[in-house]
Amino acid sequence: MQERLPLPLAGIRVADFSWFGAGPIAGLALATFGAEVIRVESESHMDGLRNTMPVPPGREGPNVSGYYNNFNAGKRSFTLSMNEPRAREVALELLTTCDVMLENYTPRIMEKWGLTYDDVAQVRPDIIYANMPMQGNWGPHRDFLGFGGVLAPLTGYSYLAGWPDREPIGIGTNYPDYVLNPGHAVIAIMAALRHRDRTGEGQQIELAQIESTVAGLGPFLMDYDLNGRVPERNGNRIEYAAPHGAFPCAGEDRWCVIAVFSDEQWDSLKRVMSDPAWGQADEFSTMLGRKKHEDELEARLSSWTRTLPPEDIAATLQANGVPAGVVQTAEDVLDHDPQLKERGYYVYLDHPEAGRNAYDGPGVRLHGTPGVLRSPAPLLGEHNDYILNDLLAIESEKLAELLVSKVIY
Amino acid sequence: MTAATVEHTGNAAQLPAPLTGVRVLDLGDPLGLYGAKLLADLGADVILVEPPTGISARQLPPFYHDEPGRETSLAFWYLGTSRRSVTCDLDTIDGRELFARLVTTAQVVVAGGPPGRMDELGVGYARFAPENPALVWASVTGFGETGPHASWLAPDLVGVAMSGIMTLAGYPDRAPVMPPGRQGYLSAGIQAAQGVLFALRVAERSGRGQQVEVSMQEALSLAQETAMQTWDMRREVRRRQGNAGILPGVSTYACADGHVYSMIGIPGFGSPWSVLANWMDEHGMAGDLMDAHWQDLLGNINLRELTRLWSEPEKLAEMQVKFAHVNEVLVRFYAAFPKQFLYEEGQKRRLLIGPANSAKDLVENKQLRARGWFQAVEHPEIPATIEYPGAPFRLSRSPWRIRCRAPLIGEHNIEIWEEELGYRRDQIEVLMSAGVI
Repeated sequence: MQERLPLPLAGIRVADFSWFGAGPIAGLALATFGAEVIRVESESHMDGLRNTMPVPPGREGPNVSGYYNNFNAGKRSFTLSMNEPRAREVALELLTTCDVMLENYTPRIMEKWGLTYDDVAQVRPDIIYANMPMQGNWGPHRDFLGFGGVLAPLTGYSYLAGWPDREPIGIGTNYPDYVLNPGHAVIAIMAALRHRDRTGEGQQIELAQIESTVAGLGPFLMDYDLNGRVPERNGNRIEYAAPHGAFPCAGEDRWCVIAVFSDEQWDSLKRVMSDPAWGQADEFSTMLGRKKHEDELEARLSSWTRTLPPEDIAATLQANGVPAGVVQTAEDVLDHDPQLKERGYYVYLDHPEAGRNAYDGPGVRLHGTPGVLRSPAPLLGEHNDYILNDLLAIESEKLAELLVSKVIY
Repeated sequence: MTAATVEHTGNAAQLPAPLTGVRVLDLGDPLGLYGAKLLADLGADVILVEPPTGISARQLPPFYHDEPGRETSLAFWYLGTSRRSVTCDLDTIDGRELFARLVTTAQVVVAGGPPGRMDELGVGYARFAPENPALVWASVTGFGETGPHASWLAPDLVGVAMSGIMTLAGYPDRAPVMPPGRQGYLSAGIQAAQGVLFALRVAERSGRGQQVEVSMQEALSLAQETAMQTWDMRREVRRRQGNAGILPGVSTYACADGHVYSMIGIPGFGSPWSVLANWMDEHGMAGDLMDAHWQDLLGNINLRELTRLWSEPEKLAEMQVKFAHVNEVLVRFYAAFPKQFLYEEGQKRRLLIGPANSAKDLVENKQLRARGWFQAVEHPEIPATIEYPGAPFRLSRSPWRIRCRAPLIGEHNIEIWEEELGYRRDQIEVLMSAGVI
């Protein structure tokens, strides 16, 4: 039995000035894999997610939002009111002790606070400074306002999702905030840490969310550029499979997905349906035929799926070699999915104000150095004492002043 | 700005790559390809190990000039950048020996599904770990290596459905819809690249490698946004909502050449409704909304007000009639202008209006163009210079960069099997004739 290795980011400290989704989720991954991540917020400039639903019934205040808490487990919280002129000095003191700085504002905010890369590199030359502005730090749209809701249409996800005969409403969430942008940010930070290990140099990482998000749709852009085609949304259909979609099942608003990529899978599907007469028709026996008659195919298939629960359809089809699944709701994934349950994906943590709640577990599993949510999300300012006294050792007279003048607030 | 800040990418070719000296074997599983691309574009020496007929991603549409073929898939071109390719058939003993030799030269392997297959073939992590203890071995599959669904088939559609994100997308009167562009695969790849870089940091410091395991279902879970917590905390199930905005100004609207998403009246998110009304008035399109009566109402349109109204159903019903009138005026305004105009002019007024951009709009996007985002890549065999979507992030001192186009099938067989691993030319000929390479 070998001794347990330290986590990958043990000894790395991150000052996390970011807010909402993309920045804090990047910080979450770093914290889960060993970094000490300090959220810098304030009463006057609070992460908007602290005031966003859902909250447990009957509870209120800035510490109980499930939206905020799920993205901030394992971090510390330090309240520093950056709009107070004296806050900059404290921020730079903190940054002197940090390896990584993270923020996701429009560039003018960091200029206003005096915390641009150049400012920070003066006190900490090897800082890895990751900023994640929506449009980047330069260019004609640099100061454009933007949040997740606008990012999905701006980056093509809305245009390409949904039904051809309906408006491009997107996919129901601020999707790019949750994996694409934070994931790219973590990868860039890890690459920069390796560069620092090899050369001693820090650097700036500029993750323009528009660039990071559009990178997820590369082939669509190349299709326009090289073939002159403007790809259109097409529901759940794709060029190389049929049927390929979501189908209604027994129960209220219950759905399964089925995807058939070959004649072999089609034959299996027919067998599972007990070889209905309609399935014997010539027009469905080949991929070209199924594509040509896809409307009718989907209608016929739906008449079968409607009779059964989605879990039964998925399990039976999978057992017979046909790709299928349940369009799972949050209730399904959290309370019923046997796979997530057996693998212990969701983690329950006791939070002093929000109670015992579910959190997403690590997005990737490292068998030798598994990530861990070391604590629930921090209360606003929960670690002020630790940061002011232990980490920065600010003398008591000055500290009193900072508190009275609401710099620490 | 100092030399170290991110300004232009013109000199990127002269700067060192952050993953120099790391060799990665990519088995070309569709779930791992994007992650391996990121490692390759960051400078790792990534070798795509393919069956002699090529990996399945080579069949993905669209195709260059709409000519289908193993070497013309634009999806593969995009995902396969900056790599070399060798072929070897892992279903043969010779092929497995070639692969095993290659693994001795690698720091990282990115393998795929189905779970357990590499072990069954005798070329899994267990075989290589004893002699190469620093090896990082990533497996990227639909549901992970363990559990009752481990062996389930997992095309992207199954991943997005089972993760809980698809149920949130679409209209209530129709089926839930999938996101575009195989986001399940991409998310799995992104998590794999994160995990590999975490494990590589450990391996380079301690000499100890490990397995990295990605489940597409788990990789997507965070993208449920608040749905999981809403069920956990409140026992309420979030469902797809369609375009059912209650507040005028918060919805998707048709405009002269497409659609815009408009997000007006949410406190903290840009300018309030009065600013939008003034803009409409500038164009003589505010209707009667400039009257004092309507101005009072516009001053109170926001989410907070709406939350209050929920508790008074009669008042809410009364308000909805008024909201409908405001919305009618707004619909006429948006319909009169093109989306880029509404976007840029709206931003001047700090109004959150986003154009529903198509691929064409993105290729022509002013910001992406001004920032030189697209990267020219040589395809000497066509010959052509082709513009690729560029870096997802910019590192000022050790940048991401497409180093070369995706490889042809087995393009580097001689370079790697003969020149690097020392197989003789006559041995390679035998293996090629036997269909192993």
